[in-house]
Amino acid sequence: MIDMDLQTWIIGYGVLILKLGAVLLFLLLMAAYLVLVERKLLGRIQVRYGPNRAGKYGLLQPFADTIKMMTKEDIVPDAADRIIFLLSPAVVAITALLMFAVIPFGPDITVYGRRVPLVVTDINVGLLFIFALSSLGVYGAALGGWSSNSKYSLLGGIRGAAQMVSYELALGLSLIPVVMEAGSFSLVEIVNAQAELPFMLLEPVAFAIFFISAMAEIKRIPFDLPEAENELGAGFHTEYSGMRFGLFFLGEYVHMQVLGGLIAVFFLGGWRGPLLPGPVWLALKIVLVCLVMIWIRGTLPRLRYDQLMNLGWKVLIPAALLNVVFTGARLLW
Amino acid sequence: MRVDLIDKEPSGPIQAVWEGARAIAAGFALTLKHLFRKPITEEYPEFKRPLPSRTRARIVLTRDPDGGERCVACYLCSAVCPVSCISMQSAEREDGRRYAAWFRINFARCIYCGLCEEACPTSSIQLTPMFETCERDILKLVYEKEDLLVNHGGKDPDYNFYKHAGVVTAIGGKGEHAGEDQPVNVRSNMP
Amino acid sequence: MPKLIIDDREIEVATGTKVIEAAAQLGISIPRFCYHPALGSVGACRVCAVKVLEGPAKGIQMSCMLEAVDGMQVSTADREAVEFRRYVIEWLMMNHPHDCPVCDEGGHCLLQDMTVSGGHGLRRFPGKKRTYPDQDLGPLVQHEMNRCIHCYRCARFYQQFCGYRDLGVLGIGNRTYFGRTAGGRLESPFSGNLSDICPTGVFTDKPSRFIGRRWDYQRTPTVCIHCSLGCHAVTSVRYRQVARQEARMSAAVNGWFLCDRGRYGFFYASRADRPRQAAIKGETAGMEEALAHARSRLEALAPAAVAVIGSPRSSTEVLALTERAARLRGWRGPAFFADVGAALKVKAAVSRLEAGLAVSLGEIDQADFILIVGADPINEAPMLALALRQAAQKGAGVWVVDPRPVSLPFEFAHIPTAPKALGAVLGRLLRKSIEPAGLDGPAARFHASLPGDPASGPELPARAAELLAASRRPIIVCGTGIVAAEWVELAADAALLLRAAQKKAGLFYVLAEANAFAAGLLTQLDSTTDRVLKAAAEGDIQALVLVENDPFATFPDRRLLEQALARIELLIVLDYLDTPASRRAHVFLPTQTLYESGGIFINQEGRVQYSAAAFAGGTPVRETGGRDHPPRVYGSGLPGAAPQPAGQLVARLAGEEIPIDIRAQREYFSEQASRLAGLPDTERLPPDGLRLALRNISAERFKSMLPPVPAAESDDIEIILTERTFGTEELSTYSACLETLEDETFAGVSRQDAEALGIRDGDRIAIRTENGAVELAARVCDNMAAGAMMIPRLRRLPWQTLGKSIRRRDIRKA
Repeated sequence: MIDMDLQTWIIGYGVLILKLGAVLLFLLLMAAYLVLVERKLLGRIQVRYGPNRAGKYGLLQPFADTIKMMTKEDIVPDAADRIIFLLSPAVVAITALLMFAVIPFGPDITVYGRRVPLVVTDINVGLLFIFALSSLGVYGAALGGWSSNSKYSLLGGIRGAAQMVSYELALGLSLIPVVMEAGSFSLVEIVNAQAELPFMLLEPVAFAIFFISAMAEIKRIPFDLPEAENELGAGFHTEYSGMRFGLFFLGEYVHMQVLGGLIAVFFLGGWRGPLLPGPVWLALKIVLVCLVMIWIRGTLPRLRYDQLMNLGWKVLIPAALLNVVFTGARLLW
Repeated sequence: MRVDLIDKEPSGPIQAVWEGARAIAAGFALTLKHLFRKPITEEYPEFKRPLPSRTRARIVLTRDPDGGERCVACYLCSAVCPVSCISMQSAEREDGRRYAAWFRINFARCIYCGLCEEACPTSSIQLTPMFETCERDILKLVYEKEDLLVNHGGKDPDYNFYKHAGVVTAIGGKGEHAGEDQPVNVRSNMP
Repeated sequence: MPKLIIDDREIEVATGTKVIEAAAQLGISIPRFCYHPALGSVGACRVCAVKVLEGPAKGIQMSCMLEAVDGMQVSTADREAVEFRRYVIEWLMMNHPHDCPVCDEGGHCLLQDMTVSGGHGLRRFPGKKRTYPDQDLGPLVQHEMNRCIHCYRCARFYQQFCGYRDLGVLGIGNRTYFGRTAGGRLESPFSGNLSDICPTGVFTDKPSRFIGRRWDYQRTPTVCIHCSLGCHAVTSVRYRQVARQEARMSAAVNGWFLCDRGRYGFFYASRADRPRQAAIKGETAGMEEALAHARSRLEALAPAAVAVIGSPRSSTEVLALTERAARLRGWRGPAFFADVGAALKVKAAVSRLEAGLAVSLGEIDQADFILIVGADPINEAPMLALALRQAAQKGAGVWVVDPRPVSLPFEFAHIPTAPKALGAVLGRLLRKSIEPAGLDGPAARFHASLPGDPASGPELPARAAELLAASRRPIIVCGTGIVAAEWVELAADAALLLRAAQKKAGLFYVLAEANAFAAGLLTQLDSTTDRVLKAAAEGDIQALVLVENDPFATFPDRRLLEQALARIELLIVLDYLDTPASRRAHVFLPTQTLYESGGIFINQEGRVQYSAAAFAGGTPVRETGGRDHPPRVYGSGLPGAAPQPAGQLVARLAGEEIPIDIRAQREYFSEQASRLAGLPDTERLPPDGLRLALRNISAERFKSMLPPVPAAESDDIEIILTERTFGTEELSTYSACLETLEDETFAGVSRQDAEALGIRDGDRIAIRTENGAVELAARVCDNMAAGAMMIPRLRRLPWQTLGKSIRRRDIRKA
């Protein structure tokens, strides 16, 4: 029995580490190439080529960028609060990466007679975990901006904090109908609940609100006020350089994928899809969401600050509340 | 003041939402369409655009039709240069011709504004379309007179300042320049 | 006091003011070419046209010819006037050559400015341009007649203002020519001003030819130090080279102009052979190393065995710090003057210049009678001659009492007087011209002590006494070169006596060198160069420190100097010139010139003037790059910037290690010279300088005693060492462009002596001295006192070997 337990234990951990490695590798590689795809697509939208010098079609550009950022000098401003300044990029990157832990990327599979769930960890309050981490992510931007001790960074940080706090409400409220439909906080259960119909069709209003506020949450255009480069230099990461800046960058693109994953899980039926295996479907859905976000970036201008706040507080939150009421009513009758 | 971008004021909220949605959709359609257009970029090292001869890039010092250095070191170019990248020292040749003993342009500083060419009274300093002057060592961008002198008259091949100047040089004495009378005979009593 | 309106602004001006001046008082600059404040108006150029709207003659008028009258209304911007001026410029430009790029005037050319501001650009006249032949006008002025616009300024300045006739107007009409009848060197020692006065580039500075443009120069207000007058100048520096010097307007001192010695004397500062490295026994060494070496050698010696010799050409800062260093260490000196006599004369001049009596150079033209005693203005202080001419032009009588054949560019009377009799002549003149009736107390006693006409001997011209008696504002100009200290005192008492006789008398001393006044304040009579050198020759002094002094050029006894230098074991020289002394120094320390360090100079009337530092020093780019471009080596620090201010170096030689700032230097002055205390900071000195407030010296008034003229004169011929405009003032002899202007070596003898010795003008004579014979050309002068021989202190002439007098039998024809 002891042997069995040990074996179970070792295999359990081995599988876990394998899953972690696969997810991490997928996320980082995707993040790197997402940058390239974004730059290429933006280029094409603006009728130019985008990066095409490093490798064929610029395919080695992510590596060139990584090498560049790794070899750049890591500058810490004299007046900065050193410890917080050094930590905040890590906060952004880590919270982004952690969020992926609860996203299921396929149905349970059986390896050597063992059932292995294709999710890093299925906790029954996965949704709350997501919210918790996304709130923590605010600290990265806000503290990074504050600790730089630069006016632009500070303004960026403050904007980031205000924006994220505002949109978190709408984000949370928009998902309550989903939870009501699925009857669970577990992401695995939510995916399972969409076996027949993706929630996007059941809850189009919730989908729209979630999409919009999630974009605001990850500071994408048109909600990139915290780093508005034509007003604030580079916003909260103005003073960062080298790989520390790279971490912010990485965080942003991992966030994009997490968002894609969440949208897939909550509204697009997660890994479910015909013909292809589950992880492939999830990856396709993530890529699709990311492409849409790039398209949005190539099309829409940045919101003004008052417009941002109006949209959050006066449109999205009331709409989300009403949606909760309507969904409740629909489910009851 | 409110600026209306839509021709007609929307008559009600529904129409306003409709108009807004249409505008956004039009935007997305446009970017989508652009996505499939051929980029207009001209890729530089593979394709070099033919430049007009009056393009302002690398500066040269030209010569007059006789092959003499046109520059008289009058300091007008260095005076007008907004970044002070031109320096020189004027001197006199045996025949009285004023010239630049040394002439230096710091291309690391030059902004290619062309004011020197405009100020030059002898058509000596001229900008050429040659712009590929990058160097890894910034000191190599400091050009001396020998680096700047060319063997032609550039855009103004026929002008010879000393044929008009009125000062005595090997090119001409008093009264021998273009449009000059013979020197006055001070001692003449003729009216 | 007429009140008029110019461009809708009212102004009240003095009667007789021209409209152009009235406008200037309002800050309105009317274009002008021929008008110049110093030369007045002639109305030749027609460019100062204004429109008179209300007044005696309405319409277009020349504002320089138009006297301001009450109720006049003038417009400078009226369309008609603007157009008139534009046409004038256009036709002035009709024959102007197309050579601004190669003209040195370009950039500060009045014609260029007016042409551009008048809007004239293209020549519409299709005819040919008039040309002129040019002349070689000597080493200072470049001539390019094509550029002339016939404003007549040059001729008016040269002939009317300066009184020289060799440059003027020739030809008529369209052929009017400004030049000499034949090419050749300009005779006037004020010729350099032609390039300032010419509104265009007909006359430009030849020594500064093609060096740079006005806008590239670092221009600094400085003070000329080539004589004691302290004229104001503007120094232009480019690429670490002092390139040009021009006059700076100063109503109190030099007016608008500057003499050629002051204008072109600056080239010593940028000479290629200027020593810029410290040296130990002729070997180049670092400044710190040489300084440490010199200090250790000096410390090994007893303080009494060290002597310091300074120089009145140094700034007050250097003098004061030298004096302080000597006092702190107990060294002998500093000696500033060659002998006690020279020191006494300067001290007397310094102490007798009381406020109210002293007149400035600018006030000289207000005099109606000027008596010059023992001074040769054109050679000793050329700008004084120009000021005297202005007084003479206004009707003042100028009388010169001097043994030398003084020449001045105006009509004056000369009483050739032997040096010993100068005082007596002055005394007799005073006695004759002042009635003792109105005098009180000391003045009357002084008057009574003055000598009357002797029974025999030449009568004094009665006209001089008459003029002096009738004058209201007489000025006594007294030199300090050939006169005795008593005469210096006597000149002051003479001025006081004229004061007592109800005249507004003034006193004007001419001192030997730029800062002689400050040196006189600081000097002690027991340490003079001759005493120091004697002690050195006797072995009492082992080390000599020469601070910006070259005794080979200044000390009159070469034998004593050689003896002293042979005997001493340590010679430390601090200088910025490549002098014989600096070449023989055991330790040489390079110092900064006035242009690098700046400094306070006190001129002969006690006017404290600050000459600002014009640049940071360093070897000129011209030297570092040869004729080619400057070296392509970049780095911090200047090449050749080792020289330091002499004052600092002396202080460090004396063991003071702190860098000495200006404020501390000021405290040092006041320690010694209490009269310098309370001066404002150099930045707050008024533009015209500040005359020292001299303490009350009533006790010294009327104390001068006239020693009787020695009856039994020896038959020896007295040597009078004299200055020349060019070639004797030490610093300007280092200007290459002035070398050809130096006089030939000569010995001036009176006709009387020449006949007695059998010499004719131009003969070579040999003078036997203790050190061998000196051969010279004799110059026989009519207006020269007998019993004296005039020897210019030219470098090429070994005047240091001649002594004070020579026996007649030692002079013979060669």
